[in-house]
Formats: sequence, structure tokens, C-alpha cells
Amino acid sequence: MVIKQPIFISWILLFLQFGCEEVIQRPIQSQDTNVLVVDGIITNEKKKHKIILSLPYKNLNGNPLPASGAIIEIAEGNKIYNTTETPANSGLYFTEVFQAIVGTSYSLHIQYQGKNYFASDSSLPVEPLQVLGYRKINDNAYTINFAGAGQIPNFIEHQFNWQNTPVCTTASCKGEVFFYDLKTIDANEAFKSGKANFLFPLGTIIIRKKYSTSDSYRSFLRSVLSETEWRGGFFDVDRANAPTNLSTGAIGFFAVSTVVSDSTVVKP
Amino acid sequence: MDMRGTHSRIALLFFAFLFVTRVFAQDILSKKISIESKSEQLANFLQTLSQKSGAKFSYNPNKMKSEQPIQYKAVDKALGDILNELGDLAGFKFELIEGQIILLPEKRKEKSANQTATLSGYVRDQKTGEAMIGALLYINELKTGVVSNAYGFYSLTILKGHHSIIVTFLGYKIFIKEVDLNTSQQEDMRMVEDPPFLSTVLVNETKPDPIEETQTSKIDMRPRAVEERPALFGEMDVVKSLESVPGVKMHSDGSTFFSVRGGFRDQNLIMLDDAPVFNPSHLLGFFSTVIPDAVNDITLYKGNMPASLGGRLSSVTSVQTKKGNDQRTQVWGNIGIVSTKLGVEGPIKKGLSSFLISTRFSQIQWIFQQADPSIKQFRFYDVNGKVNFKLNAKNRIFLSFYTGSDDYFGGNNGISWANQAATFRWNHIIHEKLFLNTTLSTSNYNYFLYADVANDTKWNSRISNFNVKTDFSYFIKPQSEITFGFGVSGYFFNPGNLKTRVPNSAIPALSIRNSVEVVLYGNHAIQLSKHWGLNYGLRLTSWTNIGEAFEFIFDKNHNPVDTLFYKKGELYTSFVNAEPRFTLSYAINEKSSLKTSLARNVQNVHLITNSISPFTSLEVWLPSSINIQPQTANQLTLGYYRSMPKHRLSFMAEGFYKKMFNQIDYVSHAQTLLNPLLERELRFGTGTAYGLELQIKKDEGRLRGWTGYTYSHALRQFNEINEGRTYNSFYDRPHQINLMLAYDISSRWNVGMNWNYSTGAPFSSPTSFYSYQGQEVPIYGEKNNDRLPDYHRMDVSATLKLNKNPEKKFHHSLTLSIFNFYARKNALFINYNKQQVADGSIKIPANVLDNDRVISQYYLFQFTPSLSYNFKWL
Repeated sequence: MVIKQPIFISWILLFLQFGCEEVIQRPIQSQDTNVLVVDGIITNEKKKHKIILSLPYKNLNGNPLPASGAIIEIAEGNKIYNTTETPANSGLYFTEVFQAIVGTSYSLHIQYQGKNYFASDSSLPVEPLQVLGYRKINDNAYTINFAGAGQIPNFIEHQFNWQNTPVCTTASCKGEVFFYDLKTIDANEAFKSGKANFLFPLGTIIIRKKYSTSDSYRSFLRSVLSETEWRGGFFDVDRANAPTNLSTGAIGFFAVSTVVSDSTVVKP
Repeated sequence: MDMRGTHSRIALLFFAFLFVTRVFAQDILSKKISIESKSEQLANFLQTLSQKSGAKFSYNPNKMKSEQPIQYKAVDKALGDILNELGDLAGFKFELIEGQIILLPEKRKEKSANQTATLSGYVRDQKTGEAMIGALLYINELKTGVVSNAYGFYSLTILKGHHSIIVTFLGYKIFIKEVDLNTSQQEDMRMVEDPPFLSTVLVNETKPDPIEETQTSKIDMRPRAVEERPALFGEMDVVKSLESVPGVKMHSDGSTFFSVRGGFRDQNLIMLDDAPVFNPSHLLGFFSTVIPDAVNDITLYKGNMPASLGGRLSSVTSVQTKKGNDQRTQVWGNIGIVSTKLGVEGPIKKGLSSFLISTRFSQIQWIFQQADPSIKQFRFYDVNGKVNFKLNAKNRIFLSFYTGSDDYFGGNNGISWANQAATFRWNHIIHEKLFLNTTLSTSNYNYFLYADVANDTKWNSRISNFNVKTDFSYFIKPQSEITFGFGVSGYFFNPGNLKTRVPNSAIPALSIRNSVEVVLYGNHAIQLSKHWGLNYGLRLTSWTNIGEAFEFIFDKNHNPVDTLFYKKGELYTSFVNAEPRFTLSYAINEKSSLKTSLARNVQNVHLITNSISPFTSLEVWLPSSINIQPQTANQLTLGYYRSMPKHRLSFMAEGFYKKMFNQIDYVSHAQTLLNPLLERELRFGTGTAYGLELQIKKDEGRLRGWTGYTYSHALRQFNEINEGRTYNSFYDRPHQINLMLAYDISSRWNVGMNWNYSTGAPFSSPTSFYSYQGQEVPIYGEKNNDRLPDYHRMDVSATLKLNKNPEKKFHHSLTLSIFNFYARKNALFINYNKQQVADGSIKIPANVLDNDRVISQYYLFQFTPSLSYNFKWL
């Protein structure tokens, strides 16, 4: 077992309140980065699995350009699962319905604009979800109590939906929050920057999915987090590109994961 | 004509002439004369001698060095004796031919033992007995002198006779000692401090140190200059004061990390009484552990170290603590916002032994506990102590220690680190020309990250060191000194292991390492002639690792292919390196000189961290071993130095070029904690740094300070990083300006100011982004393609001495410091991954569906005033 507890050392942050963070205007030294981005994860869920192909964008909050017209195959030994781009020109590719088997290696093959890209991964088992904990913040706002558990590296996707509640007055009453528990010890994680508090009302439906991560997937996620959720704390590491398991210069990751899920309706 | 009679008469006349001449000669040579010259030229002196004696001198002025200065005194002495003595001094012999005294050049006789004698001893502060390191002892008439060594010892072998020894040291009154040197003798020089406001405007006639010394890249930092400098929260700080030195670049605000001439931060050795301090920081780096109150001397070598020093590529900062006042007891202290300091020193036996103990402890815990009751500990402290005993005229022993700790605990977790160092030193005068210093020192640095206090689950890294060394200083003659010695050091490295009471914990084990280093060195500093000086030396280091340990073997793709296990005590992997040091100086005239030096440095201890944080963060050290070759550096320096004594200014210009090998960088997002395959994360390459440093300095008078400008570059090249292309080091900040001033408005009011500017530090900024699971992941192009905004900051301070009567025993003062006077927002980080939330604060987005990220900058300390109260009871 690797001992790993999320360390939120509030007093360090408190001490560093001598400092201040503010929004600045600063041009991005953008460059054309015409590489293929792969965001794909297949799981043990029996469903059509989604592979997203896109191209990088130059500005914050940009919209990724879809990489459409690709041919994607996923191989499980000799068995091949083909994909369909749906809707057309969306860069979203769906497999036929199947479920990934724990411990089995899956290979991804992409043909895109005359190039062939390959990747492979296999899943580890996942431990059961713990009981979801949440707490009241004010009259009709709740927040999740995130806590790591178990021994196997994982992350939990939380999908929130309160569209059917009376407090939903805006167009979007949804949210999606990830909690990563990679079981690593990193100073940039231990002393990471404060995260916004995601609040939701009574009656919200929360669907949780807990994903296991293979060693290489964990390594990739650790790098991604070092550049995203763990970036901006007081013990940042040198900036660098996240690794990939894709060939031919593509970036992103093709992962295979085992998933457990549950759903909860938030009650007083 | 009776020819025989004629011959007889001629012969008689000839003999009569000879007789008369001889009588005349004997008369003139025995004629007693009183004469004195303090520094007259030989030609003028002979003229005076001729006038006084009536003798006529003939000589070739080109061969006789007739311009050489003569220091001579004779009272009622025969001319013959005078000429003999003078001949020894000036290098001639004389013959009396036909009433003329002919002076013939003669190789100056070696000053045999019965013609010379050695004056040796210590230079000390009269009030406190503290050793004065680097004091200049000069004999103007002989145009020769010597500098007291690192222990305040000097040795001058000169002609017997009467001499005026002029002793100078910055901030002290010029001390002149009249010595009748008939036999070798020991004479301590006791100097009196000269408060700047009261200092008499005396133009120092001796050549100033930087001009005279055959040494480049050396900065003597007076503790007083550190005290006069405005400081954050009034916490005077030795390490942070280095930021004002050209060629030294601090990491950023709130940090004790610094780079010297493009080197990485682990390439700087800080030694406290000869014991290394591995992490000189408190409060994550906001303050350094070295406080000036207990410090006697601070010397920074920017790469061109004497052969006696080494172990790091870029710099050695030697801090010598006070030994304690051996004349009277005094108590001093300081109360500031963050910490309180208290020191006591005094004689154990007056003039023979003394003690000093000083402590500093923080008082901010309660403030933080008010804001966050879960905080259990939020404190730091340090204690310095020293005792010394003068056993007899030739032996003195010192025992000093330092211990300091930081403890920050809240809830069930926390961090803690501690430094300990202790030194035993024995100074022994073997002979008036041969000085011995033997040092036993030990140092220990521990870092803990408590992940679970309840279960005692903690990550711990440690480096410790035990060192024995002996240094000899042999003062052959003035301006010719040989130093040599040897040392043995043992090192212990724990690169970070996790301990826990949690049962069945599968914790990866990292190999503990032990190493031994043997050092041999020799150095000779000699003044070759009036113009040329040479300082050359060689340092030989042997580094060997010792089991019990295990090491991984990696293939070219960095995959582990084998594990080697070494038994306890088994020697493995040795590195032997030679580090030549060479400096040549040319005195253009008495006020200016040119110097060049070439130095090679080797480093066998390596800090393993890919953190870009300015704060102390989970430090890991590793030795040179199978997977890590020693870091080496070659540095070439060329300098021009000029003094302007009328204005009490000195000017320095130094250009340098440094090439560094086996430099360490990291694979992307290297895992440096709890990783048994840690060395797999490392990549090796070269570093190059070059630049020009200019400085004008004024150390004396009511207005003191310096200003400096540095133009430099620091580049790195690694085959496996940045696709093999050269990139800017984090410490590549081409332009740097430093201004530091202190001014005595009156005998009670003093003001200080410093201003620092540098080009912004390089960092990698995104060139584009991609989306993965809702995260906006940056894509980087060239490494360190961008720069933070330029850094600049002004600090000011004002000190009021509360005593109206300076003669009182109790002295106290108030200091108001303002850090970042014009509230410049100097960015530490620029982030591209946060959002501004409803309360205006900047946070990491929780909801990945949000698409409102902003570019933000984080900065520390804007306008930060502080007040501190200082006292001293004498």
C-alpha cells in the first residue's frame, strides 16, 4: 500500500495570504500545433464507447476543432470493433456496443489524413465506491466531501443534474466534477491551489463513476493534473507536455478502465 | 738628475698620497652621521648622505634601482656601517677608489635568519576580541604587507629594525603599530571600531584589498552592511542580502534560493563555521537561518574559490560566527513582528576565553491560530552557540554549534525540517610562520512531510555529513603564502523514505547511500614583482560510495535492467577529480589592477528536485554514483579593479565564462518522491553561463553602499530535453541592477535603501491547448520560451538610536522598514488554468463544464511595513 492522503494544508495557504492572485491580460505566445488529439476511454460498461478526435486550439476556453473523417478500430485480440463518427464531422466516434474485459489488452488504430496512429492499454480492477458524502453550505446549497479511499489508483467522475428542480432558472443546471485519487505523493498535489467550491441544490441527481487507471494511464493523468488541477500552487513542478501512449506524434490518451457507478438524489 | 732620488720621491709621494687617501677614506668611512629616511628614493637618500658626510658617490643609476624607496634610520653611526646596511637593503656593495665611493650593484643578499625576523599574531577588535578576517597589515616603506587569514592570524617576515605597521580594516580606525623588531615576536593588533558618522576622513595610504589581493570573484560582505539593509518584516538576513551582489540572482520574493553566475541553486555551499548548511531557510524560505547578529565575517566566492574550499560548482559562502566578547559581557536582541532574537556573550576568563549564545524564535503561531484553530504548530527557532579558549599563546580552541527547526502542523498533517551543525576548531601556531587549523565538523539536515500524524506516517529525507580537516598556512615571506591541507568527509543520504505505523503497508524502499570524500589541496599565493601576482593551487578530491546500498542499472531507454546490491562497508563507484585553480594579477599602478583566473570545480552532492517553487519543498539529495556523474565546471574570469581613495570608492568589472558539465534536468513531470527508480527520471546535459559584472562601492563615510550592473546569460543543453535544442535556464536574466545605500543623517538617525531590478525569469508558457476529459491541457513549444515580467523592488528603512548619550551602556534603537516601497506586483507565477469566482478570488475550476478560465499572476508582498526594536547592553 502506498500511503496517500489528500493533504490540504490550509495553514500554508493562510500564511501565503501575504500574497495575492489577480487576473492579468497577457498574450499567449501561440503557435500552430497541428497534431491529433485523442481523448478515448473504453470501460467494462456495456455500451457504445466514445473516442474523441480533435485538434489543438490557440486560446484559453477555445473550442477544439473536430478531427473528422478518421477511421478508428479497436482490437481485442483478433476481434475488431469499428467506430462511426456521429454526428458527421463532429470528431466524436462511437463503437458498437461491447464491454471491455478487465486485464485484457485493447489496441487502438486510427487512420487520419494519411497517417496511422496506434495505442494500447489494459484495465485494472476497480474498488467499490464509498458512500457519497455531502454537506450543506447554506439554505439550498450543498457540496461534496471528497476523500480518497482504497488502494488502487482511480478517479471518480461526478455528474450533477438539477434541471428538474425548482431552483433551476438558467439554461444549464448541470455540472461535472472529477476527483482524482492517483495514490502518488507529489508536492504539487499536496500543496495544490484552492479549487472552486461546486455547489448544488436539494434534489440534484448525482451520478458517480469510479474509473480504475492502469500504470501508464495514471502516469498520464498525473502529468495532466500537474498542468491543470495541481498547477498554480506553491510547489509547482517544471512545466512540460503530458506524455501519451499514442504513436506518430499524436497526443492525449487511449485508456481502458474498469468502472463502478451509482446515483444519488441529494436530500436534506 | 738623480733618477733614483726622483723615483724615491715619486714613490714617497705616491705612498704619501695613498696614506693620505687611506686616512681620508678611513676618516670619511668612520665619520659618524645621523640620518633618516621613511620612504625617500635611494638617489635622494644618497644625495642627503653625501651632503651630511662629505663623501662622493658614484654609481650607475640604471643598474642601481635608484628609484627604490628606502626606509632607514641611523643615529650617530659610521658612514661605513651605514653603507653596509644600506647595501643590504638596496642591493649594492661599495668600494673606495681614489676618494670616490663607488657603488656597485650586487644581488640583494638573501635575508638570512639573523637579518630578518617574523612578526606574527592576530588582528582583533579591541572591544570584543573578535578576530578581524582580511585585515591588511602594511609597511609603507617596504611596500609590502600581508592580509590576516580566515582566523585573523598574520605573519610578516621582514628585516630587523624599526617598522611602522599600518593595519586597516573597513569600518575601523587605521591602526599604526611601531615595532622594534630585533627577534621574531608575537604581537596582536587590536583595532578600534570607527562609527561611520564619526569617521575621520582619512585617505587610506595603503593599497586597498581588491587591488592587492590575487583573487577574483570574491565578495566580502560586512555584517554591518547586512544590518543596514532594509529587510522584510525587519528580519535582517545574510542570505537574502546576497541578492544585491552582482552575479547573484535570487529565485524570487519570499525565497532563500539563489543562483550564482548561472548555476543551479544546489551549486552554492553555505558554510557556518566550516560546517555545511544544506537548507538555510525558515518559513518555507521567507527568512534564512543565518542572522547577522551572531556573525563575524561573510565571504562569498563566486566560483573562483581558493583550493582549500570547494564541493560546489558555483559558489561558497563562508560565514564565520562571532567567538564572543572576551573583554566584557554584553546582551543584545531584537523584537520584530515575526520573531524575537536574544544573544549573550562575554568572557569566561577575560582575554582568554569567551562564550556566545544567541537564539531566535518566532512568535506568529498565535496569530495564525486565531485565523485557523486547527493549526497546532507554526513556529521556527534557531540557536547559535560558541565557546573558545585561549590555551596559551600558540593554541586556541573553539566549539560552536547551530541548531534550527521549522514545524508547521495543522489537523493531521504537517511539514517539518531541521538543520544542525557543530564545529570544533583548534588553531595552533606551530611556528611564527606556520599556522595550523584543524576542524571537526558535522552537519545534519532532515525534512519531514507528515501525511498522517496519528499513525506517524511520514516521509523523511536526510543528508548528513561529518568532516575532519587540517589546514596549514605557511607564510614564507610577505606576499608569499602557501596553504595546504587535507580533509576527510563522510556523507549519509536518505533520498526520501516513508515510515508508518499502519500495518501491511506496501511502501517502496529507496536505497540509503553512504559516501566518503577525501580532499587534498595546496595553494601558493605570491607577489612575483611590483606588478605581478600569482595565486595557483590544486584541489584533489576522491569520492567513493560505501555499502550497504543497492543501485539500478538502466538501459539507454532508461528502463531498469539490473539491480546491484552492495554489502555493508563495501566500496563501489569512485571518482577522482583534480580541480586546478589559477589567478594572475597585474597591478597597473597602485590604484588599479587587472586579474584573470581559471578555476575548475567539482560537485558530488546533488539536489534532486524538479520544483520551480521559490519555497523549500521536500528536498532530496543524492551522491555521485553509478547513475550520476560528478558535476564539473570550468570558469574563466577576467577582471579590472580600481580604487579611488580620495572619494573612498572602488570599482570592479569582472567578465566570466563558465561551462558546466553533467548538469541535471528532468524528464517531464518527473516523480522525485518515493520513487526507487529516481535516477531514471534524471537527464544530463551541459550548462553555459557568461556575463559582465560591474560594481562601484563605497564602504566608508556617512554615505555608504554600492551599485552594480550585470549582463549575463545562462543556457542549458540536454539531448533529451527540448529536442536537444539549447534553452534558457530559469536563472537566465540578462540585465540586473542593484543599488544599496545607507546614510547617517546624524549620529542618531540612519536611513537605508536598496533597489533591485532584473529581467524576468524564463518559464514555459503554453503555445496552444487541447481538451481531455473537460480539462484544458496546455501544449508547450520551446522550453522556457517566455519570461515573467521584469522584476524590480525598492525597500527603505530608517533607524533611530534612542540613546541621546552614546556613552551609556544600554543602547537601543527602533527600525522602520518598508519592503517593496512602491508596491510593485512582482509575479512569482503566471497561471493559465484558473477562474475568477464570485468573491473575486482566483481558483481552480471544479466544474469541467465551466469554460471561463483566465490568465492570472500570483505575487507576494506589496507595500510591507514593519517595526523592530533592537537593544544592546554593553
